[in-house]
Amino acid sequence: MLSEFDLEMPSDLQASLSSLPYATPLGGGTNLLVDLRARREKSKRLVWLGNIQAFREIKINAQQVSIGGGTTLSDILHSPAMAEAAPSLFNAARVFGGQMVRNRATVAGNICSGSPAADTVPPLLSLDATICLTNAEGCRSVPLDQFYTGFKTNLRRQDELITGLSWLVPNSNTANLFYKLARRKGDAISVVGVAVTVTREGDRCTHARIALGSVGPTVFRAKDAEAILAGGLLSEKLINDAAQKAMEQSKPIDDLRASANYRRHSVRVLTRRLITQAWHSLPEKTAHT
Amino acid sequence: MTDQTPHRQTEANVVLRQIGKPLERSDAEGKATGRTRYAGDYTMPSMLHGRVLRSELASARLKHLDASAARNLPGVLCVLTADELPDRLAATDIPGQTGQKRASTDRQILVREFIRHHGEPLALIAAETPAIAEKAHDLIEYEIEPLPGVYDIDSALGPDAPIVTEPDNIVGQHKIRKGNVDKGFAEADHIIENTFKTQFIEHAFLEPEVGLAWVDENGVINIRMSTQVIEHFRFIADALGVPHNKVRILGAMVGGGFGGKEDITVELYLALLAQATRRPVRLAYTREDSFLGHGKRHPFVISHKTGVTKQGKITALEVNIRADSGAYVFLSPYVLLYSAVAAPGPYRIDNVKIDSAAIATNNMYTSAFRGFGAAQACVAYEAQMDEIAKAIGIDRFELRRRNFMRTGDKTATGQTVESAIWSDECMTRALEALGEETKAEEPVKIGRGVATYQQSYGRITWLHDTAEAWVGIEIDGTVIVRSGVTDIGGGQVSALSQIAAESLGVGLEDVIIYHSDSAVTPLAGTTTATRALYMTGNAVHKASSILRGRMIDFAANELDVQPDEVDLANGQAFVVDDPSNFISLTDLAARGASEGLQRSELAMFRAPFTDPIDKETGQGPVFPDFTYGCHAVEVSVDTETGEVTVLKSVGAHDIGQAINPQAVEGQIEGGALMGQGYALSEELIYQEGKLVSPSFSEYLIPTSMDMPEIKTIILESRSGLGPFGAKGIGEPSFTPVAPAIANAVADAIGTRVFELPITPEKVVKVLSQSQTNGDLEQKLNKTPLLED
Repeated sequence: MLSEFDLEMPSDLQASLSSLPYATPLGGGTNLLVDLRARREKSKRLVWLGNIQAFREIKINAQQVSIGGGTTLSDILHSPAMAEAAPSLFNAARVFGGQMVRNRATVAGNICSGSPAADTVPPLLSLDATICLTNAEGCRSVPLDQFYTGFKTNLRRQDELITGLSWLVPNSNTANLFYKLARRKGDAISVVGVAVTVTREGDRCTHARIALGSVGPTVFRAKDAEAILAGGLLSEKLINDAAQKAMEQSKPIDDLRASANYRRHSVRVLTRRLITQAWHSLPEKTAHT
Repeated sequence: MTDQTPHRQTEANVVLRQIGKPLERSDAEGKATGRTRYAGDYTMPSMLHGRVLRSELASARLKHLDASAARNLPGVLCVLTADELPDRLAATDIPGQTGQKRASTDRQILVREFIRHHGEPLALIAAETPAIAEKAHDLIEYEIEPLPGVYDIDSALGPDAPIVTEPDNIVGQHKIRKGNVDKGFAEADHIIENTFKTQFIEHAFLEPEVGLAWVDENGVINIRMSTQVIEHFRFIADALGVPHNKVRILGAMVGGGFGGKEDITVELYLALLAQATRRPVRLAYTREDSFLGHGKRHPFVISHKTGVTKQGKITALEVNIRADSGAYVFLSPYVLLYSAVAAPGPYRIDNVKIDSAAIATNNMYTSAFRGFGAAQACVAYEAQMDEIAKAIGIDRFELRRRNFMRTGDKTATGQTVESAIWSDECMTRALEALGEETKAEEPVKIGRGVATYQQSYGRITWLHDTAEAWVGIEIDGTVIVRSGVTDIGGGQVSALSQIAAESLGVGLEDVIIYHSDSAVTPLAGTTTATRALYMTGNAVHKASSILRGRMIDFAANELDVQPDEVDLANGQAFVVDDPSNFISLTDLAARGASEGLQRSELAMFRAPFTDPIDKETGQGPVFPDFTYGCHAVEVSVDTETGEVTVLKSVGAHDIGQAINPQAVEGQIEGGALMGQGYALSEELIYQEGKLVSPSFSEYLIPTSMDMPEIKTIILESRSGLGPFGAKGIGEPSFTPVAPAIANAVADAIGTRVFELPITPEKVVKVLSQSQTNGDLEQKLNKTPLLED
């Protein structure tokens, strides 16, 4: 049963920001309400962000994607251009929770919850997303890659909200993929989530991102593995080496869903598979734009 | 989609007008539109709210418990602890219809001193609001001292094991001896031995346990609740120390049971709180309460040793069965009996030796669950059939055909099966329905599997099962049925209406049924054991047929013809050879009423009654009859990640006679889903007896994304003991699904996971092992699979 709390429902951003120093922001509530009910969360004052106008805006142009802090997973799925502008995020949204959760849960909330199994984070890391942290004084941009400081800890200050995210649209020489491995196909917590971005120029990989979920205290980029690929002439061996390195960079734990060993094994399999798949999906001849 | 075989009519000139038609179930509209009231929808003025305080440890001593702060909280009406219930015990047995009860298997209602399982109730609270009840729950102070416990069946049988159940933690044993196994093994060319394991699982019904109790002006404790078994009113009365006629249980449509609402759940707490407060009390379990509050499916360890000739004839079978019964007896001895009787499967084996034991631990108690031990037995015997086929190099379907029982054969306990055994037909049809094999590319492999089965319907015959029903025709010709049957979602109530409609020649919409009230509807004897249609359907059929005869006699007189010339249909009694000579049922009923014709009938149907089987040999009849069928699946397995996808799923069952094919499809589809969860993803995990997966975020039932379209094939031998030759399908639809999937996965990867659930990790592990052993011809991966 829920314990008692005060709920504020401001309709503009400034009002919500002025409450924040004393209250917990409530986005979709798909984590927070569960935690309140289980008494893991003790907040006595919540600020609901769902009334803020324009907070759910999605803007996509030829170069850039930006989404508001209130954007839900269903909004991502219902945005026709998103499948092109962020293939990995779009695919993550398809396997995120169940339909009811997708209708409520926000991307910003998923980022802030800080779970290592947060399904939108590997895709956003693989896209080099930047988040906008806003308080009453103004806004600061933080690369998502620098946001997490440890297990469920991050750079967000008590008085700040994630009001938006942005990233560059991948060019036609770039593939961006995501795979969620779980014990069930729908509505399950990830055992391993892997997102990769690969840019191809001829036989060379000029840019690589490998982001891993559920295999460490936070979602993280396997940068040593990325370094093996970036700039190299791509070969099966190079891909295997990168996959091996991604596995070595993983620090999973044993839990009810899977053992650490199985997670490491799956990181290697999925990294190799996704990079191979990404590479072969790209044209051998560079299209200059 | 449904394919039906042509009816094999066993009775000449039987024209079925309602039976066998996919009519819209009488309960469909109310459920689809949300108008159906479930037990949780009922409220009363000045109603209180109940709450249960539960132990967080599985084995401990309750050193002291102080409820004074909770009792002093304004709005708290009562807190019951063991101190308020001296000498009170609760039954854990099947509710007898004969007054019989097993000796010394009752349990404490609230913990007096020893806590035996996680979630065992310590105190009951009734308060003005749920929030106050919750606060009171938190204000109860208690101290518990952890005690050493036993958490697996091997430890429970060890020499120094703590004793959960006196004297030796063995709560049930059954033996079956048939022929001579030594001789049988001597005749065998091959002997194949394997051990199979199954897990704890949860019923996961949509509707958690809920009810509302009040004491009426006659002092009767009324309990409106979600249950499969209104007959528990007797045990509740015993526990409260009141006469049986002072407790009444009223059901409502039930949001799923699967055996999980077969034992006593909230009704005992409701009765105690209503008795103590003299006010209406509502108790609704949260999902977490539900996970902790009712018995689970028994984990089994089953070892098979099978002797078989080169030609694939099974000559001997030795089976050892052990089940974890958890902390209280409940239905474990019966579940164990089902598993022992089912252990040889639908196969004719002349030399059989089966030993089985149910063993107490400090895990959650285990009890009834769809399939009731026979399902776990099927997981083992159907996997063993595929392993035998592989070992001796015979086609696994052909191996089954060479050993299937045929009508007239005897089971391992020497019971002759007189109904149709269409295992072969069902398997052939199911395999055909799989169609062309799906193509896949490395590292994904495709596999197929089947499982056949023998599953009883109806209760153990020495329990002397009976069911009663009342059928009446109103003065306007409409029909009323009264039956104590509970409807747990399988269409039980609608099927009874359809039977009455058939017999009395009216439409399904002309029949209204009053059901599940232990005081005013004739007792039907529980919706469990795949017995509801068989038992209650026969009772309704019997009452309706008597009434039909009486109406026909009366009509014949009115129409001036002989009774055998008259039929009832479409709301009329008419002369078969001259349908223009008729009288409407409305007129007939009205004329009958004015002449004192009895237009109602109370009938009892009795199952076959037998003596218990021989204790040493297990020989003798055990069940009224059996259902036979087959489930077939096709799966794909990603051999690198271990992920299994079920691509095709087909259930083909001989159910004797479908009363409503739509409802039968529903049962088969539900069984396919539940069985798939059992095979692949569902598992309750207990650590030191503590449930560490108590919610649907850890406990994974298949979603729509996990399920393929399910194909159902209904075969109708009309050979069953139910109404119109029906058999039963509630449990049988579930039983073969998990072993079929396990066999398909083994077929795909060339090696077997011997322990359910078949998780991706276990698949990778067995592949890795078989690769190390050099069994796998083709290297699946360029690097070792798992580092261990």
